[in-house]
Amino acid sequence: MTESSANEPPKSEPVEKDPPKFQPKYNWMNKTRAWGVRALPGKAGLKLGDLNLGIYGEIPMEWDDQTRNPRGAVPRRGMPPVGYAIRDKAGLWADCAADLYEEAIQRRWAPATDVPWASIEPLPDDVEHAVCQVCTELSQYANVDIETITGWQHQMSYGYHEVKQYLATASFDAARHYECFRKRALVNGGGLGLEGPGQVNRMILESRGGWTEAVVYLFLVRGVFTMTLYRYLGRYAHNDAERFIYGHALADKSRQMTYALDHLRFAIAHLDDQRQVVATLLAIGDGGMGRDFRDPVLKEALAIIFGGGIAGARREGMEVYHAMMRDFLETHLAYCRWLDIPRNPAGFPPPLNEFVDAATDG
Amino acid sequence: MARFPSVQWFDEVSDVFNGDARYHGAGGGQCNCVWGMKVGDDVFVLTFEGMVCSGTVVADEAALDEVDFYLDMPVSDWREMVNNIAASGHADLHHTLNTLDLDHEDGLAVSHHGDQYREDMFFRYNQTLQFFFDASALVKTDFG
Repeated sequence: MTESSANEPPKSEPVEKDPPKFQPKYNWMNKTRAWGVRALPGKAGLKLGDLNLGIYGEIPMEWDDQTRNPRGAVPRRGMPPVGYAIRDKAGLWADCAADLYEEAIQRRWAPATDVPWASIEPLPDDVEHAVCQVCTELSQYANVDIETITGWQHQMSYGYHEVKQYLATASFDAARHYECFRKRALVNGGGLGLEGPGQVNRMILESRGGWTEAVVYLFLVRGVFTMTLYRYLGRYAHNDAERFIYGHALADKSRQMTYALDHLRFAIAHLDDQRQVVATLLAIGDGGMGRDFRDPVLKEALAIIFGGGIAGARREGMEVYHAMMRDFLETHLAYCRWLDIPRNPAGFPPPLNEFVDAATDG
Repeated sequence: MARFPSVQWFDEVSDVFNGDARYHGAGGGQCNCVWGMKVGDDVFVLTFEGMVCSGTVVADEAALDEVDFYLDMPVSDWREMVNNIAASGHADLHHTLNTLDLDHEDGLAVSHHGDQYREDMFFRYNQTLQFFFDASALVKTDFG
């Protein structure tokens, strides 16, 4: 017997009471805006978009409800507003969001077990340093993706849940990229390198003009560059593990670009002056990218990878780097043409202007 | 033995690809697109739905206007890629679709419509397409 229990007063026998009478009303069962719905699975299963039937598929241009009420549910009276900042469809919508959500979940991969880490063998010291430096900066990019997406996601109203759900997968994709680039840096006798210059990171993180503005910076500016990096790093991979990482990160990033293009096209179609606003944002973005590219660290590291070492970096490595930059800007300009956004490559700041043929675009 | 390129060859590759669950995980999986292949004068259109390649048909140049994107290389490069996959069980680092796309001056994946949204499916589904071609390692191929 413990001291405390010895000091307790003797317990009396519990008095049995009748349980409170449960008098259900079940009147909540009448609270539905549409009953008898039967969503049918298709070839790829029961997808998020398959649920958009009848009133559940009504997606208005403005979402007045400021609560967490799921779209199509009966609102409860007296619910305090949550204060969502993004309640207009033009501010976030993309028709592809539901499909991208399904695709992201279906095509997920796990760096811990899916990447063939055992294929990585020791590399020359200069090459390992370069790979680790690039992975350091790529993990920073991914971290900015996470913070930016999640920073806006909670401001999006529930009327547009397809976008919120897709962006949840996009932030998880970014978390996976952060993870796998960090792992690559730490798996082969190297380590993390120097922090990147971060002008564009700050520009993306500090954009305050709305989610569409963040989309421009995060995807149309930085995202296209990251995609191009993944393609070239996959081309110059040293082993199956790197090839796997860059190839899969490319697919994830491509989904983000698909969302971005679809959203920007929607926003431009539905908001006066949006096309010109995006053009202005891109001009501001060019400045940030130009400043980041004047920092030589990433360029030198990439040239070492592309050239197979310091010896090959000066000539072959730099040639590939220039080809990569041209590809980046050509892709960026192709996206802008697709969106019908006016651009003036001749006005790109240095060093970006070194990589465009002003005669071929405008 | 299936001749490359032919519907029979693509069907045999599809049988391997569709039936092996390893191709549907680890970043593979759902893929919805219609894409073309141009091998010399031969044109094929392949349809991917959900997890599988659901069909291949012989087509003509005009059909390439309609596909999301198509892959175009000289016949000799296609042969080299297929032989490389057969030799090592999957494409080596020099013969992946991504490498071939970067190494060819006009790119491997192109379109007539110039619709970026659809062209980007090549990148979104790149791993699935790679798995598809890698599955050809298990198909006995002759080049006629």
